[in-house]
Amino acid sequence: MTFDLALALHSLPVLMHGLIVTIALAACVLVLGMMISIPMALARTSRHKPIAWAAAAYVLFFRGTPAMILLFFVYFGFGQVFGARDGFLGALFSNAFLCAVIGFALNHSSYVTEIVRGGLQSVPRGLVEAAAALGIEPRDVFLRIRLPLAIRYGLKAYQNDVILLTKATAVVSIITVVDLTGAANAVFYDTYDPFTPLLTAAVFYWVLINAIRVGLSRLDAWLNVHLAADERRDLAIQIRTEGLAPALPAGQLGEAAE
Amino acid sequence: MPAMLLHDLIGYLEQLLGGAVITVELAVSGYVLALSVGVTWALLRQTRNRVARAIVLGVWRVYASIFMSVPSVLVLFLFFFGGGTLVGALCGLVGLKARVDVSPFVAGLAALTIVQGAYSAEVVAGAIRNVPRGQFEAARALGIRPYQAWWYVILPQVARLALPGLVNIWVSVLKDTSLVALAGLNELVARSRTAAGATKEPFLFFIAAALFFIVFSSVTLKLSSRLERRLDRGTARPVAAGRGA
Repeated sequence: MTFDLALALHSLPVLMHGLIVTIALAACVLVLGMMISIPMALARTSRHKPIAWAAAAYVLFFRGTPAMILLFFVYFGFGQVFGARDGFLGALFSNAFLCAVIGFALNHSSYVTEIVRGGLQSVPRGLVEAAAALGIEPRDVFLRIRLPLAIRYGLKAYQNDVILLTKATAVVSIITVVDLTGAANAVFYDTYDPFTPLLTAAVFYWVLINAIRVGLSRLDAWLNVHLAADERRDLAIQIRTEGLAPALPAGQLGEAAE
Repeated sequence: MPAMLLHDLIGYLEQLLGGAVITVELAVSGYVLALSVGVTWALLRQTRNRVARAIVLGVWRVYASIFMSVPSVLVLFLFFFGGGTLVGALCGLVGLKARVDVSPFVAGLAALTIVQGAYSAEVVAGAIRNVPRGQFEAARALGIRPYQAWWYVILPQVARLALPGLVNIWVSVLKDTSLVALAGLNELVARSRTAAGATKEPFLFFIAAALFFIVFSSVTLKLSSRLERRLDRGTARPVAAGRGA
């Protein structure tokens, strides 16, 4: 029951490689997740009922399912259908890393969709109307006014989901991708030292997660630098307690919007 | 083809149901333990004694920082691979010689308890913070003993305030039980994988497993909103402003 420093140092290169895989995986999922979430949030608030329902079903299904089932779903399911074929889909689904990216992105994007939706709905109606009255193109109203504000409103909740995702990637070794946890397990199976590799990996995770937390908090503070300190705190508290679950808009804003 | 599908599903139904039972057992016991750990931490953090408070807060910060930043899977593996050695060493301290093997279920239970305990402590402590100070002062002014004040005055209000957060934790405990399949626990997700491999029908079994999680958590969410109404019965309901009006 000891921490073997020599082994920890010896296994650093292996663990570093695992860490890079973890970071690369999380980064790919974040990008793909955002590419899915913004259109999905728009679909979710669409006036066309079937589109809104389809998006709601997407969120319900992929949010309620454990990430591991989704990994199996993509890797064994689509892998079996397309994996043996030639061409783009065959190459895509026979690669475990890409399957992991898709599986986690389905899960992660369903969370982010709700954040983006909550953020978009929190943008004061009057601001959007003022923009329209000034003759700004609808596309520019969205890209330059609603979306930037939505990002600012949702950043705190997004930070939680980025951290959640990064930690969730630790199961990825189940579909043969060797990430940080997988690398630590490999060292364990070589040495049968139950503490050293896992604790070393835990330190890596601790540093990574706290770097993300500090980085995104800084970004949040920078984006909200024009607000007074207590207003900033109120916004954070409101988002944290309401969890963006049903709808973000607080009383008056919601009333005005409906 | 649909007949074949149905046949496969029925053939494995018993297996899957058995797995679902293990999943629910682990989720329920893990949640109860995590909640106990969370409430204990939250109450310990309220202590008035300055020295005790400094110690409790210091230990809590380290505990929370570690277990909120390290993946649950890693904690699970630590207990699964190292738990036996750890328990053996602890027994050695008191002079017992013991050889303990930690089962996947126990390792999973320990990991869920310790990780989700940190999150539920945050939720409960936040709820305690949001109970108006006047409630504490009124209880004191009425001469209610501290122990009774906590039990009859403060905690019922804490339950009401903490409920939404605790429901979120329940849903994530339920989903996190699937992680224990990595340590070899033969629960629902592991069994659906076996069934999918044997029948070459991955979509059927993975969708069935996914639907179990979705339906089960929806049912518990329904129950919790009923509980929420019950806990809210003492408070005047503000008119639901802006909600679908």
